[in-house]
Amino acid sequence: MKPALETLLSQRLLICVGPGGVGKTTTSAMLALTAAAAGRAVDVLTIDPAPRLLDALGLDPGSNQPQAVALGAIGGAKRGRMRAMRLDPKHTFDRLVGRYAPSAAARDAILDNRIYRNLSQALAGVADYMAVERLLELHESGGADLIVLDTPPAAEAMDFLDAPRRLLDFLNSRAVTLLGTPAGVLRGGLSIVDLAARAVLSAFDRVTGLHLLRDVQGFVRGFDGMYPGFAERAARAQALLHDPSCSAVIVTTAERERVAQVHSFVAGLEAAGIVLGAVLVNRVSGDLPRLGGPATGRIAPALGRKIGRNLADFRALKRREAGALDAIRAIVPAHVALIFAPELEREPGNLRDLAEIGRRLADG
Amino acid sequence: MALPRLIFVTGKGGTGKSTLSAALAAALAGRGRRSLLASLDGRRSAARMLEPEEGGDPRKNTSPGGAPEILTLSRRAELEAFIERIVPLRAISNRMLKSRTFGYVTSAVPGLEAFLLMERLRAVAGDAALNDYYVVADAPASGNALEMLAVAAGVKGLAPRGTLNRLASGVEALITDPRRFGVALAATPADLAVREALATAGRLKELGIARVIVMLNCTVEALFETAEIEALRKLNGHHELAARRRELARRTDAARRKLRAAGLEAIELPMLFRAELHRRDLLSLARRLGDALLSDEAGA
Repeated sequence: MKPALETLLSQRLLICVGPGGVGKTTTSAMLALTAAAAGRAVDVLTIDPAPRLLDALGLDPGSNQPQAVALGAIGGAKRGRMRAMRLDPKHTFDRLVGRYAPSAAARDAILDNRIYRNLSQALAGVADYMAVERLLELHESGGADLIVLDTPPAAEAMDFLDAPRRLLDFLNSRAVTLLGTPAGVLRGGLSIVDLAARAVLSAFDRVTGLHLLRDVQGFVRGFDGMYPGFAERAARAQALLHDPSCSAVIVTTAERERVAQVHSFVAGLEAAGIVLGAVLVNRVSGDLPRLGGPATGRIAPALGRKIGRNLADFRALKRREAGALDAIRAIVPAHVALIFAPELEREPGNLRDLAEIGRRLADG
Repeated sequence: MALPRLIFVTGKGGTGKSTLSAALAAALAGRGRRSLLASLDGRRSAARMLEPEEGGDPRKNTSPGGAPEILTLSRRAELEAFIERIVPLRAISNRMLKSRTFGYVTSAVPGLEAFLLMERLRAVAGDAALNDYYVVADAPASGNALEMLAVAAGVKGLAPRGTLNRLASGVEALITDPRRFGVALAATPADLAVREALATAGRLKELGIARVIVMLNCTVEALFETAEIEALRKLNGHHELAARRRELARRTDAARRKLRAAGLEAIELPMLFRAELHRRDLLSLARRLGDALLSDEAGA
């Protein structure tokens, strides 16, 4: 195995981030498989995997528990083990509420609350946070040498890594004082702006027909007792993300339009203080084949023209890819490994294909 | 069939949504229709492709319909506009928008911001019909886009009465009206992109969206007959390259068949074998889209 890849796979935790459509989920599975093939015990946590990948990994689409991936097909004498799990943010959040609710009644009140239901299903940030939470659970349950985490497609590059802090911020915000308290018992300490905001929120409720205020109050009050538990959990999750044994991997493809996106991920990780372990460029096309001698005389002119056009076409694509790779190289810090994952002749559809990519990973 | 006033362009990440949005707006302009290109991602990636190239002659880019106009929409700005509309006192609405609490509450309402963006598109589509122009919306990737399109029904469930309920009914009426609203779904021959297009098309049907245009991007022709590839066996390099070409063509074929089996006839846009993409490449895509979508109306 190449040193850069070996270093990467010797981490305890790998977080795959990147723009949509570059093959993050497949890459996460491929990295996990490559580490497992080299003898490590690996867990991979995927978000919304395509049915085909579930098939390839032999996963039951209905389950969100760790499932063993049968590695028999990939050979190798010193195979480790691999488990894969899909993430269900709603389910994870519900369990977290169950753990920290002071009573069964308090738990049910929260689980039935409209704001909670919306928060847990509709808010991208919650899915992000729950991915981190599940990671923490896996990490603390031990058993794996390496955990690979696939991240949800994020609107903003760093939404994901910032998620624990944002949820805490919400639970700890003025929403608690402002909305959690029934109007009659409001005491001093609220500014005129808060009071105005509260009044306007009531007006907003009436005009929109949403009647949110009541639900927000219920939600905030319900969460009161759980706050310390959540805060402690989120702090541990943050610490885990910043641990030196945790690295992020930016996954991208060799396309011009990805360069700016990769740049924003590099900057975002640096600002968040998270180690960037590698930039993995996915689906890099193979070298053009060496051409045989000038035998054009022996083939029909029409075919000769087609050969010429075909060669020009593939050379143009190769130049476009090379241009994008140069641009990516230019923005990746010198100490960060650049790893190229080759495009297979076929679309990867089973474990053997993923293992094949792993074997062919080349260093830049 | 007449083109809907507003075309909402979506697809899996990496299928070329922004490029195809820009090409679609250029196609309309090229056929003498006024067009407006609306970026919903706030990044204006599609709009940038229509900007004049450095050193290019801007006069060369004039189309009979004039260059497409550009509109950039963001969820945040729509929320602000909405609050200003329903809260009469500007001083209070400004303070609310700055309040973190209010931000949390609005983000806890599922899709309120996405819904307001749809509401804005409804207004834009209405204006387009009134003033005879067409709107191409460069929407987010399919997952997010479906949430946007489903949000009106969700809002109606949350707000059984009131302003939002009324607005939600308006948005529902828009997206189910094939004269006013259509979805253009971008895919490539890659298996995952085709699967996502099929799943999205199914979901659009459930949402009652009647007009769906599928755009199969990056298609490749085989170029070589089987016998020709055989004849190239002795030319090692060329034989391999011809085989690569055939494989790309095979994927295109497979994608075409899968889409057809689901009753979807795609507009095919060829892979551009270019080292760099220029405006003329965008215009060549625009011509194809124009031929496919607008030629039956050419005489009208």
